Amino acid sequence: MVQQVMVQQVGAVTSEDGAGRAKGRSSLMRSPQFSSFVILIVLLAVFALADGNFLSPLNISNMMAFLPELGIIALGMTLLLTAGEFDLSVGAVFALAPVVVMLLVQNAGIDIGVALLAGLLLCIVIGAINGVIVTKIGISSFLVTLSMLLIVRGAALYITQGFPLKSWDQPGFFVTLLAGSFNIGAFRFYTSLWWFIGLSLLAVYVLRYAKLGNWISAIGSNRNAAVARGVPADAVKIWLFILTSVLAGLAGMISAFRISAASPVAGTGYELEVIAMVVVGGTALTGGRGTILGTIVGALMLRAIRNGIVLVGVPGLAYNIFVGVIILAMLILHALLQKNAARS
Amino acid sequence: MMQEVLRLQNLQKSFGSVRALKNASLTLREGEVVALLGDNGAGKSTLIKAISGVFPIDRGDIYVRGEKVSIRSTREAMDLGIETIHQDTSLAPDLSIARNLFLGREPVNLKWLGVFAPLDLAELRDAASALLKRVGISKKLDADALVSTLSGGERQSIAISRAMQFAAKVIILDEPTNNLGVEETHGVLRFVKEMRAAGHSVLLITHNIHHVFEVADRIIVMRRGEIVAEQTVADTDLLTVESLITGADLSALMKRAQ
Repeated sequence: MVQQVMVQQVGAVTSEDGAGRAKGRSSLMRSPQFSSFVILIVLLAVFALADGNFLSPLNISNMMAFLPELGIIALGMTLLLTAGEFDLSVGAVFALAPVVVMLLVQNAGIDIGVALLAGLLLCIVIGAINGVIVTKIGISSFLVTLSMLLIVRGAALYITQGFPLKSWDQPGFFVTLLAGSFNIGAFRFYTSLWWFIGLSLLAVYVLRYAKLGNWISAIGSNRNAAVARGVPADAVKIWLFILTSVLAGLAGMISAFRISAASPVAGTGYELEVIAMVVVGGTALTGGRGTILGTIVGALMLRAIRNGIVLVGVPGLAYNIFVGVIILAMLILHALLQKNAARS
Repeated sequence: MMQEVLRLQNLQKSFGSVRALKNASLTLREGEVVALLGDNGAGKSTLIKAISGVFPIDRGDIYVRGEKVSIRSTREAMDLGIETIHQDTSLAPDLSIARNLFLGREPVNLKWLGVFAPLDLAELRDAASALLKRVGISKKLDADALVSTLSGGERQSIAISRAMQFAAKVIILDEPTNNLGVEETHGVLRFVKEMRAAGHSVLLITHNIHHVFEVADRIIVMRRGEIVAEQTVADTDLLTVESLITGADLSALMKRAQ
């Protein structure tokens, strides 16, 4: 039910965003986020028919608990990809930030608020290093953030000696803020869902309607043109790297507080899953064309696949085969739509 | 005599041990088209990049309307009224025509929000449509169309109209007719004449000497980082200009051949 409402909301926003354009309906139908949206509906319908529990309150609550954690990172990644760069270190940051916070709280006895602030500062530093090396020294973001992935993941493993931290479960303002939960009828939601919705709205606003969004798209589309018009391309990219790191750290903290534990191997492989969400939603890997609504659809889709496949009885180990096939199918579809649009 | 708009005095620029610009001086007056000619590596690109703020000069002075200025960024050049149209790289293909026209100078509401200020979408569309109509290309183009759907000539017209729209004093065109068809090339040259008629000063960088004779008032020739000649179009001819560019006395050669 709530799933349906969510879906309807996404649909409403999608059509609203198309209505502003001159070409209205036809361009909306052909837009990448629309085709992703249709496929999401089909997937949800298939899973719902295959297993009655798919739309049960418990399962929907489950999906909605996991969704924001990768979804929040995907928002940052969408903006970064639109500006023509990407960040492979997000999964490692997802682990390191909460590990540092929990260590400070558990071993050093530091107040949780201060520890969280230190964790966020760490994310800002990591993002800034990524951004400065990419823009000022001119090394591709693939190589820079791949190295950063190793450094950050290595740091998380080293400072924990490879073991998950003791579980830490003291309620308080910050814990409630990040991982509090509440019930609506039979559904149990976490505050992280609000974070995801709020950040999504902000990201839609920035990319579509703000001056900054125009700059981000222009930088990804043709950096030289943007620079020639006085757009501070390097500064914008550095801030986007910082934003992506901070969102990855935030997501990591949300996840750690939800399960009351931080692990140095958390978030392994998240960087690729997040990039998959973003490109499945219709954002171009080459920059210039980004869609937050598409990313939300992509995040919902990968979450539904991961959950639905298990429910319908596909062996867990076969999961990645399906995810890979579905992502490939989505990308082929986008490419075909793009070709059609160019021809007409 | 027309009023001086831009004056460069003894500009110098080196890249490592390469002296790309040695004591380049030139003056651009109101409402004239000056062609900047030279072979590859003569220093034309270095000169215009210095004027448009892509990189700082090592030594020398730049005057805009008689006032000494320093240009440290593309933004500062634009604010001084110097608009540059680089070959092929002036537009972002994934953005609409309207968004490209106002890139870097977007009309916004709630200005205090800085880079987070919302675009004034109605103003953006209206101003873009008005501009397209004024330059006479509204019939075919929709301000919301993506630039990636346009032809090379259409893109060049959009870039040129953008420069005209901000009432630029100086418009620098870097190889504006590269990769264009015959008809599109004539469209661009017509634009150059319109710009002059509207009082803009144009600095035209090109390899095509025929175009120079069609639209330019004056010719400045560069060779190995230096300005080696300056002539009015009326007082020179194709052969002389070619000799100046290559450094070989072609007319003498021709005479000898006869």
